[in-house]
Amino acid sequence: MVIIGENIHIIAKTISTAIRERNAKVIQDLARAQAEAGADYIDLNVGPMKKDPEQTMEWLVKTVQEVTDLPLSIDTMNYIAMEAGLKACRKRPLLNSASGKTDSKQNMLPLAKKYNCEVVISVMTDRGMPPDVNSKVESIMDTVAYANELGIPNEDIWVDPILLPVSTAGEGQRFAVENLEFIKIIGDVLPGVKSIVGLSNTSNGVPEELRPLINRTYLVMLAKNGLYSAIADPLDKELMKLNRGEMPEIVELIHKVMDGEEIDLSSLSQKEVEYVKTAKVLKGETLYSNAWLES
Amino acid sequence: MEYKAPVEEYTGVVREITIGKGKKSLKIGGENIPPFHFFDRGSNPNPAKFALEVLDMEPPDWPEHLVEPFRDVVSEPVKWAEKCQSFGVDAVSLFLMSTDPAVKDASADKAAALAKNVAEAIDVPLIVYGSGDEKKDVEVLAKVAEVCDGMNLLIGPVLKENYEAVGKAILDHGHVAIAQSPLDINLLKELNVKLSKFFPPDRIVVDPLSSALGYGMEYSFSLIERVKQIGIMTKDSMTMMPIIANLGGECWKTKQAKENKVQGLLWEGITALSLLLAGANLLVLRHPETLKLVKKTIETR
Repeated sequence: MVIIGENIHIIAKTISTAIRERNAKVIQDLARAQAEAGADYIDLNVGPMKKDPEQTMEWLVKTVQEVTDLPLSIDTMNYIAMEAGLKACRKRPLLNSASGKTDSKQNMLPLAKKYNCEVVISVMTDRGMPPDVNSKVESIMDTVAYANELGIPNEDIWVDPILLPVSTAGEGQRFAVENLEFIKIIGDVLPGVKSIVGLSNTSNGVPEELRPLINRTYLVMLAKNGLYSAIADPLDKELMKLNRGEMPEIVELIHKVMDGEEIDLSSLSQKEVEYVKTAKVLKGETLYSNAWLES
Repeated sequence: MEYKAPVEEYTGVVREITIGKGKKSLKIGGENIPPFHFFDRGSNPNPAKFALEVLDMEPPDWPEHLVEPFRDVVSEPVKWAEKCQSFGVDAVSLFLMSTDPAVKDASADKAAALAKNVAEAIDVPLIVYGSGDEKKDVEVLAKVAEVCDGMNLLIGPVLKENYEAVGKAILDHGHVAIAQSPLDINLLKELNVKLSKFFPPDRIVVDPLSSALGYGMEYSFSLIERVKQIGIMTKDSMTMMPIIANLGGECWKTKQAKENKVQGLLWEGITALSLLLAGANLLVLRHPETLKLVKKTIETR
């Protein structure tokens, strides 16, 4: 699976400070570390970028390109910053992201055509987040058809079902289950499109030390259903090992949970038990609580 | 062709819990069907039970029409509890309001002595609710548990902030715990998981908080319903606990209930019936006429 390194993210205080102060070293160290860890793309998440969008984005892209040849994912809702970023990229970038919102269709999506890049399109529309799998499929079909009319082929489109925190009371687990389903069917519905998720959002709200376990398990589950790429943390070594197929026993166990096979926990190591319990939560089989590993 | 209604059967069973001792005891829970699903395969051996609430001090803000049935006893909690029995309650719930640091900050010793007096004076089991102040309750509820040793009272609220200390006292002195969490099923389960590490799950009753009609009752409804569904249908051991709906206080806080008597009775009654339909096993009310109204509604079903 294609891993898009998520670590250059404006929400991190060190990053926002580094960008504001034009501190190239902080950014470059993080870009290099992600490249060395095996990321396929580097995501540059700069948020809404209210101040100096063009100049800031141009600096950021150039700064990162000085230390890595990896393609970039330009991650902003600000289309002025987006255009500046796409222009500055040496390799064919990923526009991250457009959606079915009118504003995005008019101002963001055309940039993908203009700069001949690949583009993430999310299921969001003017009415907000579609509430279930069917409406997500419906909305993405509309937006992809619109993109096709602009001259963007399916092969350049990466669809994003938008992952939400599994810890959200009541709804979180339903979201996790429905997004697994979305990834499973999207290839048949829209042949040629790729899929992408913001993996770490699934574990938002989960106790910090347990977040990686949710991310890793869900990555394996999504991969089984055909996920093409994930914006994720390449510095999580275990995540990367799982992704490279270096932990086949764990992957097989998670697949068994997904297939509904009975699993005898007493024969498993603690780590295996944790993966099984986590997969059951993400599959909606056991109710989530922060203490899901303890029961 | 003859129509056959589909009949479901479930794998989970809500734990049956006994509160009180000997003749003064009652059972709650034990069902393996969702609330009122008498058409499914399974049973509910212990239909919902009702308690009336007694305060350990003269009620500071009750409307006249709520004080009225207890006017002669509102300053004497023991007599008040005795009077509740004449209205056909299954249990009495003593609310230790005066121990709240923001109210009178009354001592734990005094509260515990009163709880014992009330428990001894009545012929039904006693529920004891602390003020809800997470720090003061550690002291108060531990003392209540100790002084009432072996009486098998239902004591709470046990919160995520104080479950270790309060839970231990309740366990050591042979009582049942009310595990309370703020309207969130994940937190409810988490508290049960943590408490169950040292506390037997068959001595836990859960209180997910009961909001009044018009003040968020839907949230309580959905939550109670979900807890029951997950317990009975998916057999999640950490949600297979009976549920207490402590709703009287919430209802009589509302402007509508305070405004006039009929409105107040209906406010409390509709809230009670709704939470009953959602799956509550034990309901705490304030007005005896609401109790009568709710019971009548159930019996004429």
